[in-house]
Amino acid sequence: MAPDGILALTTADRQALIPMSAGYLILMSALAFGLYRLYHPREAPSGAESPPGQGEQPEQAPATPRRAPATPPGRAPATPPGRAPATPPGRAPATPPGTAPATPAGPGQRTGRAALARQIASTVIGGYLLLMAVIVAYYFGVARVGPGFLESALTGTALLLGLAAPVFVALSWLAERRDRS
Amino acid sequence: MARYPLIGYLVWLILFGALFTWEGLALARVTGVPSLSDVFRVIMRYPFGRWALFALWLWIGWHFFIRGWHFLLRA
Repeated sequence: MAPDGILALTTADRQALIPMSAGYLILMSALAFGLYRLYHPREAPSGAESPPGQGEQPEQAPATPRRAPATPPGRAPATPPGRAPATPPGRAPATPPGTAPATPAGPGQRTGRAALARQIASTVIGGYLLLMAVIVAYYFGVARVGPGFLESALTGTALLLGLAAPVFVALSWLAERRDRS
Repeated sequence: MARYPLIGYLVWLILFGALFTWEGLALARVTGVPSLSDVFRVIMRYPFGRWALFALWLWIGWHFFIRGWHFLLRA
């Protein structure tokens, strides 16, 4: 009996189409989520008003200048009382002359190198583990593409991290040093 | 050229064309759509968004530059 639908494709077709479709869906879902959050900023819960510029940020990046919540283009800036005025996407926030554009750190906000290193480490470890989970699920659930696939994925991405991380650290140190001088 | 690579190239061409069109329109402020930078900035406010983007970056680098190699560049 001839299989129907996507099962009728050859293994090569499936190995080309399924990852591409899955990657496209993941990317588009992330972009759709970003667009949704951009057009529907999360309101602060009643009675717990967030400080200006932190209304829709569940986790603040340490020591990083942030912009005010964006406003969808073509709409009136719907700014709730007590929050910072919205900035249209792609435009620099209106900063009065002579003032620093960076948002000062809040009372409970972590700043400094340790917090930055902690955030980078969590991003690297979380991203690596997420990719490994996707690759293992793909290997066992979609196509067993070869005996060295999992080993290559584990060691290849580790090699990539080993190459990129020192460069990133060096460039970050140089950028910080340049900002100080 | 086999049939499926041509289709694959066409699909990728359309996807990247749409992406560049979107970004071009956003940068030209023609339609008022937010740029990709704005969208990615919103995504990166959330830890899972940062993980997903980093995983995507890692996968792209591995798939295009590293795959087929072995650890410590052993051939």
